[in-house]
Amino acid sequence: MNNAALESGTPQTPPFVVAETISKAYGGAQALNAVSLSIVPGEVHGLVGANGAGKSTLIRILAGLTQPDSGQIVVDGRRIVANSPHIASELGMSFIHQELAFIPGMTVLENIMLGLPKKTRFGLVDWPAIAREIAPIAHRVGVRAPLTANVKGLSTAENWLINITRALVRKARLIVMDEPTAALAAAESERLFGIIRELSKSGIAVLYVSHRLDEILELCRRVTVFRDGRLVTELTGAGLTRQALVESIVGGAVESTHNHVGASAVEGVAISVRRISRAPKVKSVSFDLKRGEVLGLGGLVGAGRSELARILFGADRPDSGEMTLEGKPFAPRSPAQAVKAGIGFVPEERRAEGLILSKSVGLNLGLANLNSIIVSPMLPLISGRRRDALVERTIKAFAIKGASIDTPVGRLSGGNQQKVVIGRWLQSKPKVLILDEPTRGVDVGARAEIHKFIRGLAHEGAAVLVISSDPEELPDLCDRVLIMAEGRIVGELAGDALTRHAIIAASYAGVQELGVT
Amino acid sequence: MSENVISTRRLSPAAKAALGIFARYATIIGLGAMILAFSLLSPDAFPTFNNFINVINQASLAMIISGGLTLALVIGEMDLSVGYAASLHGVLVTGLIVHSKLPIPVALAVVIALGGLVGAVNGLIVTKLRVNSVIATLGVGTILVGLAFAYSSGVPIVAGVPEAFLQLTLGRWLFGIPNPIIVMALVVLILWVLVERTAIGQEIQAVGGNQAAARLAGISVDRIKILAFVISGMCAALTGALLASRLGSGTTSAADSYLLTAFAAVFLGSATLRDGEFHVLGTLVGTLIIAFGFNGLNIFGAPTFSQYVFQGATLIIAVGLSSLGRMLAES
Repeated sequence: MNNAALESGTPQTPPFVVAETISKAYGGAQALNAVSLSIVPGEVHGLVGANGAGKSTLIRILAGLTQPDSGQIVVDGRRIVANSPHIASELGMSFIHQELAFIPGMTVLENIMLGLPKKTRFGLVDWPAIAREIAPIAHRVGVRAPLTANVKGLSTAENWLINITRALVRKARLIVMDEPTAALAAAESERLFGIIRELSKSGIAVLYVSHRLDEILELCRRVTVFRDGRLVTELTGAGLTRQALVESIVGGAVESTHNHVGASAVEGVAISVRRISRAPKVKSVSFDLKRGEVLGLGGLVGAGRSELARILFGADRPDSGEMTLEGKPFAPRSPAQAVKAGIGFVPEERRAEGLILSKSVGLNLGLANLNSIIVSPMLPLISGRRRDALVERTIKAFAIKGASIDTPVGRLSGGNQQKVVIGRWLQSKPKVLILDEPTRGVDVGARAEIHKFIRGLAHEGAAVLVISSDPEELPDLCDRVLIMAEGRIVGELAGDALTRHAIIAASYAGVQELGVT
Repeated sequence: MSENVISTRRLSPAAKAALGIFARYATIIGLGAMILAFSLLSPDAFPTFNNFINVINQASLAMIISGGLTLALVIGEMDLSVGYAASLHGVLVTGLIVHSKLPIPVALAVVIALGGLVGAVNGLIVTKLRVNSVIATLGVGTILVGLAFAYSSGVPIVAGVPEAFLQLTLGRWLFGIPNPIIVMALVVLILWVLVERTAIGQEIQAVGGNQAAARLAGISVDRIKILAFVISGMCAALTGALLASRLGSGTTSAADSYLLTAFAAVFLGSATLRDGEFHVLGTLVGTLIIAFGFNGLNIFGAPTFSQYVFQGATLIIAVGLSSLGRMLAES
């Protein structure tokens, strides 16, 4: 099926870059499974798929940041033996990422020339001569800032154009753009599209990765769709429609059934959020989270969900708006205060924000429960017996594998690490538990155990907020799902309306509506 | 390309395990080997009970200040003010006893409290003003030098130092063990229990291990950091006071050189038993390595310069070998 799609879609020109049956696994998770992709000179090739579908992994492999487990990359008919960022660049591939990497304090020109050989005069860099050379390229791309300006303070749009200039100076023949419009206003996006079309006319290929299907439909004549690390289809010509894209991204019409334990006996609102804003990602968000409820927060990456969670947990403070916790005003100034008030938090980046990797499982599990493992409040010595009991209980409840009390947490697998982060809150029983991407990169078994724990906690009366970019997870787990897009809540799904399809449709719809205005 | 080159150098699991063990025990093996070598070379002077007690007695003051510094480094900050703080508090305690006629225990309590205050200032500057701790403690340390000069006009306070104050470090207690060793043992015990066995210690380790994760686990990171600086300051003050007693005078720059010794001891300790983490018992091993090395060199009449060469070289070799061993073991 894949081959047929490839053949029918490949234009006559020989491809510039071909990725052939690329596979890559991280730990136990298969990030890419024999995917193939070809890019011909001058085409704008779309690459779409849900989060975790494997787009980023493929880009990293093309860029030489990661080596594939199997498969090969062919550039201009020549197989690359060992790719590296340097080789990728030499071969004419340029990568522009969502988080643009510039050196602040340096000028536009200095950033464009970073890492490139520079013309010298008497051993000194001849900036005026370089500027004369670069100026026409920058002009062609539409960079408005003077080359001598400091990059600090320039707009995101301008940064993109500078990056494109940089790619052209490097004689790139393929420019990979990862979510270029995520931080651009509509007018700026239009400007970027114009430039992409210019590039395309001059024979430069663009691999365009975006969640925004309208942009994809407007720019691309060929779109590759990934799902769960596999190539689902390649759409071209008349087959390239919005409907076809959504269906390919979501997968078959199979809908998972709700898997709910009976409703909790407890009632009442646990946390109430009113018009909370924090520039630039959270815009006037209001909702109620009830006791005994598992509330999902769906949407696309960058919709402002994690930023909202950080506000609820006191890690960031809102610019405006109010919150109440069990009817009382709630404005935590730090996570420490939020924990005291009875909030638990499982952050998105477990390695960077969730765990002390070099320390033991015991220390990591104990952190949120220090009061329950000390001998007495007057004698705050850690009681070995209580701590061991706590750790044993958690290890057993979550089936954390390969862990004893003294194992450094960094040695556990991803799924077991995540169980430690979540297991921290098993004992302290928070009133509200906020989980940001609780099962990302976690295998099926661990995922089921984590879901069971979350449902159990809610059944006992806790209010749970689950952020997930995995649309399959939310219908399984949640009583109700709010959809966030561009910092706002744009939809609510519950009961029979709560399906994977509905979540994705609402997520993309939210972007579409708000993106244009 | 580079990937291939690395892959050809992969070590066998057994070699990795051996290297890992070597990385952890290298400093202790080194300390043992050094004591053995000195004992063989100088069987009459070096390996005697009295000499060992003497060495540990000499090392006690360094251990106290190094123990405090360990706390600052455990939480991931620097404290460059400890040497200057010790000097200032040595001058102050002498002055309080000689000029202000304070009873010795009161004078000691005052300078230790002031040491804690200096640490609190360090901690507040680092956490609230968000000044890099190298700069913050260097700045505070420099101000302390100024304060020491202002208090004593730069003249050592020698006349009128009571015998009882000298006895503080000269005296012996329990089985004739010199007082500084007992004080040092107490400080090591308290610090060890604090870091390894208390709830606050867990928070200290968490902050040092991953500040962002500690914060999101609900720990008041700033409070923990300030506490670590306070402890570092108190230990520096105690060392300064004991040094003044040992010297019989309060001198403005008496303890300045403890800064380098303390850093050497703490970093040597970080290569001990644990993988590059600072910890109290490691610091103790580090302090002993430096103290026994100095003592051995002294017995052989090695010139002064060689002691500095020894301290610098030991530090680089021990920490370097340890991190190299770890790197190879993990590759």
